Amino acid sequence: MTTRRLIVEPRGLASARLVVLVPVLSVLAALVLGAVFLALTGENPWTVYSKMVDAAFGDSRGISETLISATPLILTGVAAAVAFKMLVWNIGAEGQFLFGAIFAAGVGIWLGDGLPAIIALPLVILAGAVGGAFLASISAIPRVYLGTNEIITTLMLNFIALAFMNYLIFGSNSPWRDSAVSTFPQGRPLPDSGRIPEFFNRLDYGLFVAIALAVVAWVMIEKSRWGFEVRVVGDSANTARYAGIGVPRKILGVFLLSGAFAGLAGSLFVAGPVGALDPRSLDLNLGFTGIIVAALARLNPIAVVPVAVLMGALNNAGPSLQSIGVPPETVTMLQGAILVFAVAGEFFIANRVRRPDKETTVATTGEATA
Amino acid sequence: MAFKRWRAIAVLMAAFALVASACGGDDDTTTTAGGGDGGSTAAPGEVLKVAFVHVGPVADKGWSWAHDQGAQALKAQFGAGIEITTLESIPEGSDSQRVFEDLASDGNKLIFGTSFGYMDWMLAAAENFPDSVFMHATGFKTSANMGNYFGAAEEGRYLTGMAAGAATESNSIGYVAAFPIPEVIRGINAFTLGAREVNPAATVEVVWTSTWFDPPKESTATQSLLDKGADVIAMHQDSAAPGQAAETAGATWIGYNTDMTEFAPTAWLTAPIWDWAPFYIKTAQEVIDGTWTSEAFYGDMAGGMVDLAPFGPSVSDETKALIETRKGEIISGAFSIFSDPIVDQSGASRALGNIFTEEHNWFVEGVVGSPTG
Repeated sequence: MTTRRLIVEPRGLASARLVVLVPVLSVLAALVLGAVFLALTGENPWTVYSKMVDAAFGDSRGISETLISATPLILTGVAAAVAFKMLVWNIGAEGQFLFGAIFAAGVGIWLGDGLPAIIALPLVILAGAVGGAFLASISAIPRVYLGTNEIITTLMLNFIALAFMNYLIFGSNSPWRDSAVSTFPQGRPLPDSGRIPEFFNRLDYGLFVAIALAVVAWVMIEKSRWGFEVRVVGDSANTARYAGIGVPRKILGVFLLSGAFAGLAGSLFVAGPVGALDPRSLDLNLGFTGIIVAALARLNPIAVVPVAVLMGALNNAGPSLQSIGVPPETVTMLQGAILVFAVAGEFFIANRVRRPDKETTVATTGEATA
Repeated sequence: MAFKRWRAIAVLMAAFALVASACGGDDDTTTTAGGGDGGSTAAPGEVLKVAFVHVGPVADKGWSWAHDQGAQALKAQFGAGIEITTLESIPEGSDSQRVFEDLASDGNKLIFGTSFGYMDWMLAAAENFPDSVFMHATGFKTSANMGNYFGAAEEGRYLTGMAAGAATESNSIGYVAAFPIPEVIRGINAFTLGAREVNPAATVEVVWTSTWFDPPKESTATQSLLDKGADVIAMHQDSAAPGQAAETAGATWIGYNTDMTEFAPTAWLTAPIWDWAPFYIKTAQEVIDGTWTSEAFYGDMAGGMVDLAPFGPSVSDETKALIETRKGEIISGAFSIFSDPIVDQSGASRALGNIFTEEHNWFVEGVVGSPTG
């Protein structure tokens, strides 16, 4: 009624330009907000941002380290994206990541140095997928056949997975624990045949595996018949049922696939930069961060890749900022701000906001006061 | 109409980003210029860049705080001749290698890592940056440009055990311990020997937490010991949570790392504490002089790295005198804590063996609990 009102209406199909533009603007807006915050706390935003860029991309080592941090995030991001696409709320990527790491390290240690890398390494990596899918199945099967809430079961299993890993290293003389080290419990190193070779500083070929898997996930979801059915289930389970799609099997499949991707993140991390089941190297919330990555990438497995690189860069910039006197919390805040802005930006992709036309009196679908 | 505004915002942001990256270029040159890259050791008159990497917040008033006090003493000693960078809450593990390498590439010529889990990653960073000196606390690996350092906390443990033995009325002392590893077991054994020197009836019950720093968990573990009848609490933990739980329950408390009186003023007895300052000053001086060589340094009470915190209000003058006498004997070398042979938990006499390796996985007589966690 008054001209101070804005009309919000669903956009239907958003243009490709908008889908790209809004997230980019959201990130920039978060950086602007961060700059204001930094200025208020007495830091020079230019100095801080340039230090961040320099730390993450400034030299070949910075770039390789950013990509190392991005590699597991690509896969935990894909894990969340695949599940959320079908409204399967698997927030257990953290635990599935750890189980992937446990399985991969276990297979690597069990195989020993007896096999050539061309056989051993794929087995180590695949073991991660099995481990992640195994942990996911503990939530998936009750979800499908008994209707239990997967948010709760996957969340709780994260803690169990962490405790189990700690037990293997700190609480027992398991095969995962290095018996050769006498002062402090730590993971037994994987044999060389179970390690992914490095090609650029510390960066290993796991990056390409992760990117390839992201593409595979995209093709499966967006281009295959199976993916189409999955998306139908995600839109409306009833429609899917009428169409003759086996909903329980679809949910189970997506759940296990999601777990397998998270588990692969674990095996690539263990067979890559870490080289052992080392709780201190693995307990970094990479699974939880994957959920943020997936949300920012709008659940698109391909978009997950650049977003994971951005998150990796933000992660690596943290300590460098401390060296110029900025508290580490600032980076955490900036990450949070980017997420909030991205989620808020989503609103503008889904809806159109406009001033009412002169003749319009009542908004049609919903309204918000400016 | 709406889109026009979006475009305007986009243009503004793009301009913003451009300016930011332009400034970035400028800043780069200024930061690296001061880095002094190239030289293998700091030349006289040049500012030595020193970095500290801690696993927890330096405000923990425990382990990291004690190291930070050492860093501040280092700064006070050298003033403008030294520039210190402190990184807090850096997780141990593979990620830390990047942090150490970043510091080295920023021109830090002396880099301290104050937590065990940095060891292998620091070793790898040291190999990639041979022009920087890396110093690792509590580890056991060294290389051409990486040394390690630690100290005989067991000397302080023994003396605080004496204070606990004198304080207990139930003859039951609780010990909240982090991990069943030689360092911690050595401390428990030294503590128990000290307690039973003044009170042969005293027993020490151990609970494992599997964490160095987790205040709620430390608190719960303390409560479980109090519930079982312990009236003195000792700890191998980094927070003051056990002391606060003891204070609430009316028990007394032996702290660790630093003087933590303020957290439990009534419960406080004393604590084994660290003074890293002399070692940090010595090491920096060696790097400046170019005389640094890689070694595994083990400090002690005589050298001042390990000390005893001030006594709390409930410690009697008699006990204080007893402890001070023993302290003097430890410093002079007249008294050694572990004597061979020794009576173990089962009551059998056994050879002491190496107390610094996995071989030291057994408890002395008087300890209640399992040495395997």
